[in-house]
Amino acid sequence: MSLPLYYYLAITAIYILMSWSIYIPYRVGQLHFMTVANMAISSYFAALMAINFAWPFWLVLIVGTLLGALIGFLVSVAIGDAPCFAVVIVGFTFIYLTKTIIENVEAFGGPLGIFSIPKVLQTSSDNRTLLLIVAYALVLLTGFLISRFDHSRLGRAASAIFIDRDLAVSFGVDVKKLGMFLQTWASAVGGMSGVMYAFIMRSISPNHFTFHLIGVCMTMLFVGGYTTLWGALLAAPILWGFPLILPEALQSWNIVIYGVLLIVVLVIKPEGIITRPTVKKIESLLSRNRKKV
Amino acid sequence: MKKILTLLMIMLLTVSFAFAGGQQESAGSTDAAVGGSEVVVDEWEIPFLNCLTGAIASIGEYLQWGAEYAAEQINAEGGIAGKPVKIVRVDTALSPEKGTVEMSKLVDDALVVMGPVPEPVIMAAVPIAADEGLYSFTATTSYEYAAEYFPWAISWFSPTDEKLPPIVTAWAEKVEAKNVVQFVENYGAWPGMAKAHVIGLEDAGVNVLEDVEVPSDAVSFGPLIVKALAQDPDAIVFACNAEKAAKIIIELRNRGWEDMNKMLVFSSADDAALYTTGGEKIDGVMIYNYNDPALDTPRWNDFRQAFKDDHDGIEPFSLSPNYYDAVYMIKRAIEDTGITGDPKKLAEERIKIRDYCNDIQNFEGLQYNWTNKGGYPADKPLFLFEIQDGQKVLVEKIIPE
Repeated sequence: MSLPLYYYLAITAIYILMSWSIYIPYRVGQLHFMTVANMAISSYFAALMAINFAWPFWLVLIVGTLLGALIGFLVSVAIGDAPCFAVVIVGFTFIYLTKTIIENVEAFGGPLGIFSIPKVLQTSSDNRTLLLIVAYALVLLTGFLISRFDHSRLGRAASAIFIDRDLAVSFGVDVKKLGMFLQTWASAVGGMSGVMYAFIMRSISPNHFTFHLIGVCMTMLFVGGYTTLWGALLAAPILWGFPLILPEALQSWNIVIYGVLLIVVLVIKPEGIITRPTVKKIESLLSRNRKKV
Repeated sequence: MKKILTLLMIMLLTVSFAFAGGQQESAGSTDAAVGGSEVVVDEWEIPFLNCLTGAIASIGEYLQWGAEYAAEQINAEGGIAGKPVKIVRVDTALSPEKGTVEMSKLVDDALVVMGPVPEPVIMAAVPIAADEGLYSFTATTSYEYAAEYFPWAISWFSPTDEKLPPIVTAWAEKVEAKNVVQFVENYGAWPGMAKAHVIGLEDAGVNVLEDVEVPSDAVSFGPLIVKALAQDPDAIVFACNAEKAAKIIIELRNRGWEDMNKMLVFSSADDAALYTTGGEKIDGVMIYNYNDPALDTPRWNDFRQAFKDDHDGIEPFSLSPNYYDAVYMIKRAIEDTGITGDPKKLAEERIKIRDYCNDIQNFEGLQYNWTNKGGYPADKPLFLFEIQDGQKVLVEKIIPE
């Protein structure tokens, strides 16, 4: 596999996971941007453990994911059932705090970050193959779990909260517990993405974990479609790949194109390109074709 | 559901293959250029990974301008080993991810690469080049950021804590500073430069006060100025973005600061925004950098005039000549080591260029000659200026011992 294709696919996997980490709590109407902070914390944790203590990749991946979940859980105790805007403010605050701490602590490499993170395997090509397989295994696993959740009673409860929180409460849905569960899960996905990002890029800088990353993942989620997990899966490879193939003369218009695209999609299809009816239509179309065959 | 997953995976693969297809096309165009006897390329293509969009696009623009001006001059004089040279613009948009992908596109075919810019992109992208045996001309960075990838990356400047202290000491002694406060922005290599300033100040026997951190997203500077003035400084050093430095200086002046010489702006703020924002209110402020705009040599005068013509009369900035010099260094390396550009000899010729440039002797830079030893120059001078009417007036030149 060519090197550019590897980086394209690997970073696409990270964007899919990060977009899903925003999708998961948004099932109950919460924009939980703290997952960007979780990504930063776990990626720095991964880099430091791998460089200073020679922790193996698998251990770092598991502990980094659990670290994300733990932080997400502790915060969710306070904001599990908070309204959307409060969750947004908490997320922004955590990102700002994390970035400021990283930039000012010398052990974290200051504003330049940490570089020369060791390879998982000695040979570059083996290392890349392994990381790509792991990244997409994690995408499949997370996608599978989200799909199971969406089709479960909990998923229906989340949809009820999204539409009318008071009505959901009157049906006996525990908004706080469900919110805590989804926030913890999203933070775990954020942490997992952070570990993978550190090992794929082999250098990390606080400049990556900013509001810009939120903007990119939000665009992927809202353009792709925020009512199903498929939206981010469709939008991430296209929106991340798009600036890479854009002619140099149009590069400076990149952000403008993103903005216009987001506005156009929100006006024409407010729920994004892939909605639940779209998924159902495709499903029925495919099953009809199968019957014909 | 499985069907949808399959469908989306097919779409993902289609995008991926389209992406890979673009790569093959560019590789093919390189092959098409092969011909001739000794030198086998029709044109030397030198990719330049630059930040042409994003927060420091203005710096990227004049770095690019320098490289393209060098190519224009070289081509007018007959090219490199008789073949024209072309600078290929590659925008990393200040993004480590984009820098990584763009660098990975070059590792198979490029003879040498210029950039990336700045340090966060260097840290992400240069390891890929180093892994694949591609030499990076990181011509804006200091030793400590390129040494990690030696011998596959060149340092344009000696270690920060060796090169900066003498110029800061000279300034502190000249203005008889006693208590100095620094405004420091936590961006890229700037905190490292601020630390080097402290070494210079301490060498001059100055009492260094607590730094005032300038947030990257700061728009109002009143509280920062109050924090600085509360420490009762008699001199100030600025290690922050050009526009912010200018705004803080204006605010300080409005609050009664009179001794403008006792303000020193660091080299990375020697950018258009300092002069356009500061205007006449920064007259008297001192600034250090790596080039003397008043140098009087035909080559520099040509460069300076061309830069002014293309930039509405603005003088070249501190880093303007860096990639101009980098292109000329590549030219000398190609010509002196007999590089042919033959794709079959790519690995061998990359090493030839690398070894030649890492220890280049008496290189004729735009402003001065220098010699590299172990991938970095130890004999480049620094200049201290006073700003007068938007121009830099030379006060002192420091040549490292």
